[in-house]
Amino acid sequence: MPGILCCFKWVVDEAYIRAGTGKELDLDWVDYKISDYDRNAIEEAVRLQEKHGGNVSAITVGKPDDTKGLKDALSRGPEKAYFINDSSFDNLEPSQTAAILAEVIGGSSIDYDLIICGEGSSDLYARQVGPRLAAKLGIPCAAFVQKIEMEQDKIIVERKIEDGVEVLELPLPALVTVLPDINSPRIPGLKDTLSASKKPVIDIGLDELSGSFDPCLRTISISKANMERNGVKLSSEPQDISSLVDALIKQGVIGGVK
Amino acid sequence: MAGIWVLAEDYKHCLELLNAGQKLAETLDKQLAVFLMQKPDRADDFIAHGADRVYLLPALPEDQTMEAYIPLIAGIAKQEQPDIFFIGASLRCKEMAARIAASLNTGLCSDCTGFTLDEESQSLVMERLIFGGAAVQKVICETLPQMATIPAGAFEAGTALSGRDGQVIELSPAPPSPVKLIAKKSNARQTTNLAEARVVICVGRGLEKEADLEMARELAELLGAEIGCTRPISEELHWMPEETCIGLSGIKVKPELYIGLGVSGQIQHLTGINEARVICAINCDENAPIFDVSNYGIVGDVYKVVPQLIAELKQALHK
Repeated sequence: MPGILCCFKWVVDEAYIRAGTGKELDLDWVDYKISDYDRNAIEEAVRLQEKHGGNVSAITVGKPDDTKGLKDALSRGPEKAYFINDSSFDNLEPSQTAAILAEVIGGSSIDYDLIICGEGSSDLYARQVGPRLAAKLGIPCAAFVQKIEMEQDKIIVERKIEDGVEVLELPLPALVTVLPDINSPRIPGLKDTLSASKKPVIDIGLDELSGSFDPCLRTISISKANMERNGVKLSSEPQDISSLVDALIKQGVIGGVK
Repeated sequence: MAGIWVLAEDYKHCLELLNAGQKLAETLDKQLAVFLMQKPDRADDFIAHGADRVYLLPALPEDQTMEAYIPLIAGIAKQEQPDIFFIGASLRCKEMAARIAASLNTGLCSDCTGFTLDEESQSLVMERLIFGGAAVQKVICETLPQMATIPAGAFEAGTALSGRDGQVIELSPAPPSPVKLIAKKSNARQTTNLAEARVVICVGRGLEKEADLEMARELAELLGAEIGCTRPISEELHWMPEETCIGLSGIKVKPELYIGLGVSGQIQHLTGINEARVICAINCDENAPIFDVSNYGIVGDVYKVVPQLIAELKQALHK
């Protein structure tokens, strides 16, 4: 009966990010969400449990007020959650998140056979935490997995990289990061949401950890990517389409090599 | 004097990283080293392209993948203590880079698109995109080695110089990894010329059915364009192959002209078209984000506009 841990991150929903004035980003109106691919990680853990039994726990690192994410994660099927939180756990870089997770998972009584992470987070998309966590725990790792078959003491996975698909065998315990195509995450219903609030959350504070978790990467600046073009808006009227074609020809982008 | 290290799966990618590394090596007065897999006869070529040292990685047993090199590479990094380690940002090497960085307790800038040197500290100031491409993050790695994964094409490959000297060091095999390769299915990928295309037509969710791709094909043929798509078209609807998906996690295009048909412009997609010289969008929703980044935006029904556009183009181009 496998124990499965799925990691998730509570992130800014990039769809709410507004371009502020000048080079700034306006983050005042943002909402938060479970990082997209982490939903696939949770879903895969729950599907494996439905097939093989065992238990599924969700684990996250964040600020003490990120509790909305816990409820969201638990409504997707895991039976309990580990919430490693401190007010300093804000804007962590991947090496910190991995080190914190490794200390909690490796140094405690959390029993696991398989750890599933999303391929990368939708905010930073650095795609480091999963592989780093595996390295810190000293367990086998496969990233970019699109299929998992679980056996007694091993998993067979398909990982998709640029030049094709590799079928790999990993002895358990192991860690995989999953691609979005591995499954379609279920949408929690009202009942799931209600039952989520009754599920246990194990709170782990900084005082229970011994590491110092200093960042290796220091962010110097975050500025708006400059993508805006002062474009012309046209209608679907014939004269507008005709003037578009004229303009494209004048700019030398169509009608022969510039 | 361990200096600057470079590792990439692909030969050309390796040359690009060597070129980026060589300029740094000159400025910082450091040695440049490169890892070489499988083809030991390329050592001289890498030396001609700027490497002062070539580490030859031993051949792998059939049931092992490149990740089996991780302990070996991390081991000599601990011994030699490089200042900078650039790794090609292919998927496999991204995983390797993260695991190597974790064993070296150092930072890693993923998908670094460019860097400068901080005058005072001589540290790399590395740039990358975050929030799906909506923002540029600049980071400094405060631990050594300063690591980054660098996408293919971010730097140009340099030219080979004759008469350069370098050292070739053969590494002895590492213990086998517990991860076993059981089978390999190579990709039935069609090669697309999207990344190099002069004109790109991109289809998005504004198209109602697969048969409507015909409209895009007609337009593409008229303009000598390649056709790409947004993520939902390839990942959810499977109307087009994955390798034609344009965006942050797909292909980045840099054509003279990009025309989006029914593309709303999610930030991840816009990141992939940002380098187009002229962006033209046709969408019925006047608030679609793609209009903010367009040079020409047509607010209208794609089913009405495209046939008109085709007719107009035929006339103008005398086709």
